[in-house]
Amino acid sequence: MSADAVTTAQDLVVSGWAVSSPYGLGRDGFTTGLREGRRAVATLDSEQWPVPYDEAGLIPGFDIKAVLGRKGTRSMDRVTAIAATTVGMLLEEYGTGLAADPESTGLVLGTSGSVQSIMDFTRDALTGKAPYLVDPARFPNTVMNCPTGQSAIRHTLKGPNVTVSGGAATGLLALNYASRLLRGGHATTLLAGAAEEFSVQRARLEQVADHGGSAAEPLGEGAALFLLESGAAARDSGRTVLATVLGCRFRAFRSTGRASAVLKSCIDDVLAAAGRGPDDIALIAPGTPPGVFGKEEKVALDGFAAPRLAVRPLIGDTTAAGAAFQLAAVLAESAARPELADRLALVTAVDRDGTVGAALIRLG
Amino acid sequence: MSGATGGTAPRTTPRHRVVITGLGVVTSIGTGVDAFADGLRAGRSGAKPIGAFDTTGFAYSNACEITDFDPGAWLRDMAAEELGRAAQFAVAGSRMAVADAGLTEDDVRARRTLVSVGTTDGESRDLDHLIGLQVAEGEDRLDATVARRVWPGRLSAGIVRELGLEDVETVTVPTACAAGNYAVGSGYDAISSGDVEMALCGGADALCRKTFTGFYRLGTIAPDVCRPFDADRQGILTGEGAGILLMESLESALDRGARIYAEVLGYGLSCDASHPVAPDRDSIARCITAAHRNAGIEARDVDFISAHGTGTKANDVTEVGAIRQVFGDELPRTVSIKSMIGHTMGAASALAAAACSLALREGFIPPTINHRTTDPECAVDCVPNKAVEARLRVVQNNGLAFGGNNAVLMLGHWDANTADNLPADAAAAA
Repeated sequence: MSADAVTTAQDLVVSGWAVSSPYGLGRDGFTTGLREGRRAVATLDSEQWPVPYDEAGLIPGFDIKAVLGRKGTRSMDRVTAIAATTVGMLLEEYGTGLAADPESTGLVLGTSGSVQSIMDFTRDALTGKAPYLVDPARFPNTVMNCPTGQSAIRHTLKGPNVTVSGGAATGLLALNYASRLLRGGHATTLLAGAAEEFSVQRARLEQVADHGGSAAEPLGEGAALFLLESGAAARDSGRTVLATVLGCRFRAFRSTGRASAVLKSCIDDVLAAAGRGPDDIALIAPGTPPGVFGKEEKVALDGFAAPRLAVRPLIGDTTAAGAAFQLAAVLAESAARPELADRLALVTAVDRDGTVGAALIRLG
Repeated sequence: MSGATGGTAPRTTPRHRVVITGLGVVTSIGTGVDAFADGLRAGRSGAKPIGAFDTTGFAYSNACEITDFDPGAWLRDMAAEELGRAAQFAVAGSRMAVADAGLTEDDVRARRTLVSVGTTDGESRDLDHLIGLQVAEGEDRLDATVARRVWPGRLSAGIVRELGLEDVETVTVPTACAAGNYAVGSGYDAISSGDVEMALCGGADALCRKTFTGFYRLGTIAPDVCRPFDADRQGILTGEGAGILLMESLESALDRGARIYAEVLGYGLSCDASHPVAPDRDSIARCITAAHRNAGIEARDVDFISAHGTGTKANDVTEVGAIRQVFGDELPRTVSIKSMIGHTMGAASALAAAACSLALREGFIPPTINHRTTDPECAVDCVPNKAVEARLRVVQNNGLAFGGNNAVLMLGHWDANTADNLPADAAAAA
């Protein structure tokens, strides 16, 4: 097992990150909250949110116009605002020089859009004076790439603009999609991550979903985004390498009982590809899905001694953004503990529709 | 290796050439590759009055609907009610693509695979149903069976489950109306980099009230038929279906003696970052140029363009303007199969890629039907109304989407008997 800690020019690195989470906007609250183990899920106002849940992990006081201003927000929906806000924070803190080359800078965002926007639009069609009397300005909100496209418009990102979706594995799928775009020469720098909103309709749908035999757990919302580029590009831009992406691997299970075995294979594969072993892993951020899915993930991770960072119990089920928040938690922990530099972290996901994924990163 | 590496960053690893060896199509002019090819050659129209939802109150309501689809014929593991209509189309397309490639499903299971499905609406048709129930019967009314299948991940996960794949990366790409090209492009990168051996990529969408209503409200639904590039064009007809391409490395295809439809030469992406629905000429031109560079070809190599060609006033003028910006005055023939199958949203560029593959293999250019008088503002030879025979080497497939999301795919002819398959240079460049 080599311990090559030198970042080569071809390595894909994370050189910045930003979060909007139930701890508030920004990395500081997220980092402190997670490290204190403080639960950010709170009681819901049932007047405002008529949903079959008592609690949720909402971004505290998130108000679209207060955060983004009045311009361009009249018809903006919540998930789009969450995405655009987080993209803005990432660029503000880490994006020096990117504005000079907007055509080489893109966004790969994991999201399934807003079921609330889609259903509201059809509700207007069904309840208006005529079936076509809908607000045309809200039509783009009903297409799932709206958060991705709108974020590009607000922040002039003219490179590849891609929306991906895959349940609990979404964040890792977005990371891998972005890695391929960079390796394929389609962009120099990509913002990659995922976003999710809390809404009445999402809550109604999620409540009856498959939770692996358990009751539905509280939902959360937010976004986590990462700046991804080659080690050389980071160096040229004067950005610090926060982590190096060593690999992502995915598999599928048809029967739930296979989930642990296929996830274990993914972990073994990313370790083997990186020339590393289980003892090199210093940190694990599992998805901790409910019911049998969580049990399967736990079994797959049984042989690994590294401490676990459990994000979901603290911020709620952020579905599309879940795995991105797990990666953000790893970076938060790494920033707070410099001794983790050059050690490995593992992020895992088990999705109810049959996807498992593992991402291996080197810290520092 | 020559210098044309495509894009802005140098490629760092050896690349595999990527070919298309299987096509699975579900369309309003035919299901299955033979029926689709016949329909394209004959210039068949899928336009008809909408039956998918009640259109009372609309002055006109044609669409390119599929009226003969039987999900039970394609699903084995899952009950039809576990998948929405778009996912059912995707599964059907995948099964067809595997069989069309001369593979068994066991063959696919034995390889590391990517399944990537583009979509605009996912299962919005089901969301229409669910909100309809709330409106009619009360806020608390929920059809749990339908509610469980609405998430877009199911479009790709349904394929994986039905084919029993295990060593697979499963991703849905909801990048709106260019999503099919995004999915095929990601498959090209995944195979060419050696990440996977095989890919099932494309797009799927089902007709829904939500999207028909939105386009109707924008004044972009044609009252009768879709007439791309015509002086009297009045807009789109919404459509539905799925197009799934089975892609593999050239070595893999040659090893097993597979029939090759076409080689994927490369693709380009760009984002307008200007307006959510109005297309941007410069950005589309930039996307076309990026695709040519990524494929290692020049504009003059392109034998025909399968345009996004929605048949709206704005799209056709802007798109042809962008093409002109790249190609100058010598425009290749530029057609729109949306005249036949309507705007199938996330499936559109995938079905167009399937049409391009057939065109390259069989040597014809599909027509733009319903055409009367070409608009001088978007003057192209759109191969009006009748397919033409043509020996083709390079074909360009445009996909443009809401959010200013552009994706252009380049496909090349493959002929095992000739040494001068065009992308020799492109492959060397890569």
